[in-house]
Amino acid sequence: MTQGPRLLLVAVGVVALGLVPTLAPPFYANLLIPFFAYAIALLGFNLLFGYGGLLSFGHAMYLGLGAYAAAIVAGVLGIRHFELVLLAAAFGAVAVALPIGFLCVRYSGIFFGMLTLAFGMLAHSFLFKFYHLTGGDSGMRVPRMRILGLEFDALNKIELLAGPFYYYCLALMLLAGFALWRIVHSPFGLHLRSLRDNPQKAEYLGVHVPQLRLLAYVISAVYGAIGGAILGFRIGLADPELVHWTHSGHLVFMTVLGGFSNFLGPVVGALTLTLLQDQLQSITQYWRFVLGAMLAAIVIFFPRGLAGIAADAGRRLVRRQQPQVAA
Amino acid sequence: MSAFANVVFGGIFHAAVLFLVAAGLQLVFGVQKIVNLACGSFYALGAYFGITLVNAALKAGLPPVLLLPILIVAGLLMAVVGPPIERLLRTVYGRDESFQLLLTFALVLMFQDVLRFIWGANPRSLGNEVLTYGKLSSGDFTVPVYNLLVIAAAIAAACLIGLFLRRTSYGRLLRATAENRAMAEALGVNVRAVYAVVFSLGTLLGTLGGALVVPTSAASLDMAIEFVIEAFAVVVIGGLGSMAGALIGALLVGLIRAVSLVVYPEFEILAIYLIVIGTLLIRPSGLFGKAAS
Amino acid sequence: MPLLEAKGVSRHFGEFRALQDVSLAVDENEFVSVVGPNGAGKTTLVNLLTGLLLPSSGQVFFKGQTIGGVGPIALAKRGMARTFQLVQIFPQLTVAETIAAAVVSQQQKQWRLFAALSADAAVFQRVRQIAGIFGLSDRLEHAARMLSQGEKKLLDVASAFALSPEVILLDEPTSGVSTSEKHALMKTLIGAAKAAGVKSVILVEHDMDLVATYSQRIIALAEGKVIADLPPGPFFADPHIIATVVGKRMSTDARHQRS
Repeated sequence: MTQGPRLLLVAVGVVALGLVPTLAPPFYANLLIPFFAYAIALLGFNLLFGYGGLLSFGHAMYLGLGAYAAAIVAGVLGIRHFELVLLAAAFGAVAVALPIGFLCVRYSGIFFGMLTLAFGMLAHSFLFKFYHLTGGDSGMRVPRMRILGLEFDALNKIELLAGPFYYYCLALMLLAGFALWRIVHSPFGLHLRSLRDNPQKAEYLGVHVPQLRLLAYVISAVYGAIGGAILGFRIGLADPELVHWTHSGHLVFMTVLGGFSNFLGPVVGALTLTLLQDQLQSITQYWRFVLGAMLAAIVIFFPRGLAGIAADAGRRLVRRQQPQVAA
Repeated sequence: MSAFANVVFGGIFHAAVLFLVAAGLQLVFGVQKIVNLACGSFYALGAYFGITLVNAALKAGLPPVLLLPILIVAGLLMAVVGPPIERLLRTVYGRDESFQLLLTFALVLMFQDVLRFIWGANPRSLGNEVLTYGKLSSGDFTVPVYNLLVIAAAIAAACLIGLFLRRTSYGRLLRATAENRAMAEALGVNVRAVYAVVFSLGTLLGTLGGALVVPTSAASLDMAIEFVIEAFAVVVIGGLGSMAGALIGALLVGLIRAVSLVVYPEFEILAIYLIVIGTLLIRPSGLFGKAAS
Repeated sequence: MPLLEAKGVSRHFGEFRALQDVSLAVDENEFVSVVGPNGAGKTTLVNLLTGLLLPSSGQVFFKGQTIGGVGPIALAKRGMARTFQLVQIFPQLTVAETIAAAVVSQQQKQWRLFAALSADAAVFQRVRQIAGIFGLSDRLEHAARMLSQGEKKLLDVASAFALSPEVILLDEPTSGVSTSEKHALMKTLIGAAKAAGVKSVILVEHDMDLVATYSQRIIALAEGKVIADLPPGPFFADPHIIATVVGKRMSTDARHQRS
């Protein structure tokens, strides 16, 4: 899809999102906060997967890290400033992702997937078993925080979430998206894609394959942690299930659903699954089955995801409108 | 001392069941290069159905001593889900391995609700039928005879699989296809049929493992998700695609779990993951596997 | 000091002796061909010269430093590029992006995370220049996987040249190319070397006609040993060398020519 129409679509989307708190009941704005969290986390995840070619099945670990950072900084240490929580989450993510990423990026394909899965479950069992430190399966409380230094005393939690925090998260997502857009279209982004397509040739063209993979891994971890901090604030709790391998599976699901070969694909996937899961859960208790069937359908019939389908449709529309150009 | 022996035998029993499921995983990965996340779901399916069949049999008046054969039958019967699932997986055979992995994850999600639909959300367990097999004891050391029988069954299965793969012509065919699919096809092997057989065999081993474990543990929805990790740990430690690896890996994992449960409970599953990570880093091909990516 | 030098290099694989006591030197501004029958050790030699393999004995020097076991990334950094017999592409990248990847390495821009690549005039000027030399200018926006086999080969070689290496090793660059296009390709390679600032080209080739026409020097390998290291004139004047390197092919070619 060319720049013009795509930018227009994004603008429309942003405006629509911006209008939700004013036009819809607070329930919907509240529902979309996890969407923002996942959108940010998945934008980063897709840097590693769609652009870097590495499928991590332990990525939820970083979302958990963000949530627990929120619990520790705001809860245990009493520093109830969301910006500082975000900073702590980012630093924590770098500190954890550097050594783990260093170990994992020497491998690709299935070994990378298994290593990341193992590390993720290691984190999970650590959070679970060392309950005197981490609260075990009850998790750790994430208290309400100031955003931009403002307390918003007059609002209760739901009003805060559906109001100022909503816009805050929307802005965060736009910022994160813009930063990632620049990263993907930079020389680094080109080298990343080249090592995805053919690591051996890339090396012979001077691409620092292991280091670039590590950098992509760390960036995706930071994005994940920011998303996790948002989740922690919203839910009010950091719990070990955030880090379970099935949660990592859901991250992959959303990315593939939206389309991993498209920049906005993960965002589309996050939105779709957030809304869909909510709807499904109110209709049937067997929503997992429906989601599973959807994932199967996407993998078999629509591997390019929703964004891919939309892009193809858009391209066909454009071609029909323009006369055939001579090859 | 005898307390320790109790623990060790508990670990070996767990290892026996682990081996069956891991062997299924190895077969499927070795020949088809698919990592089947749904192996835990097959395990749970075998467990639930085992309970159902045993209860139905007891109600029909069959004596409790038939527990083990009934469970084996339950496991064999549930393997019937293998072929249709293989047909489904066939649609993504040529594609990137991420897609194959994702499709098996989709199956995990679907299976969760199928199990919930048929058997409900609460864990289920058998009664005390297993006691009819009695126990072997020597001083403080006791081991249920059932456990010994399962261990024996697992060893028998290991021998059978080994013989099958090494001594029969079909087994050789399987190993050839695992080694080099294109070559096997060029030599006239019907790879499609081979894949169908292998996957069904892998499924069978999974459901059988699940069925055999129910006298000692409850069947629960969590089973499907948690067991996958252990099975994977076995496969990684033992080496992807290796049967000997499945055996040794299962023993290692089973024993480590059993021992750490007693010595340092918090460490229990952590120990397994650390060994998995260590293996992947130091010797990615595991104990018996072939070279890593 | 020679640019690339092998001193008494040998390489065994278990019991098999691929190369025995090979010595050669390539200076600046040389266009050297490496020839020999199949199994003579040409690919092993290239792998040793590019540091992919360590010699069992002897040393390989590039610009005076040993190069054994250096690895592809460091190799590119030091100023050497190579291509393989089997064409290597980036399926999802366009022609322009493929060449740009090499240019980014050469201009040391790979750590720029926030700079817009499409706005980088320095990179794209070079990309267009290289593409122009290899006749790929009207394919710049095409995905690499959409190109014909011949164009893929050109792209593979073009991206290696885009690194502006001091030495480039090409492993059978004209294999699979039709006879009529081979000469055009060779002329392109020579022109590209000059334009890209490549000092020396080493070519592994089977086509003796091309070798005779374009090389300044021919190194012949047979059974792991160097049996000739001569300019084309003296090389083709020696019947013993011809017989060993070319073998029966020469006589069949002669028969074709007669009919």
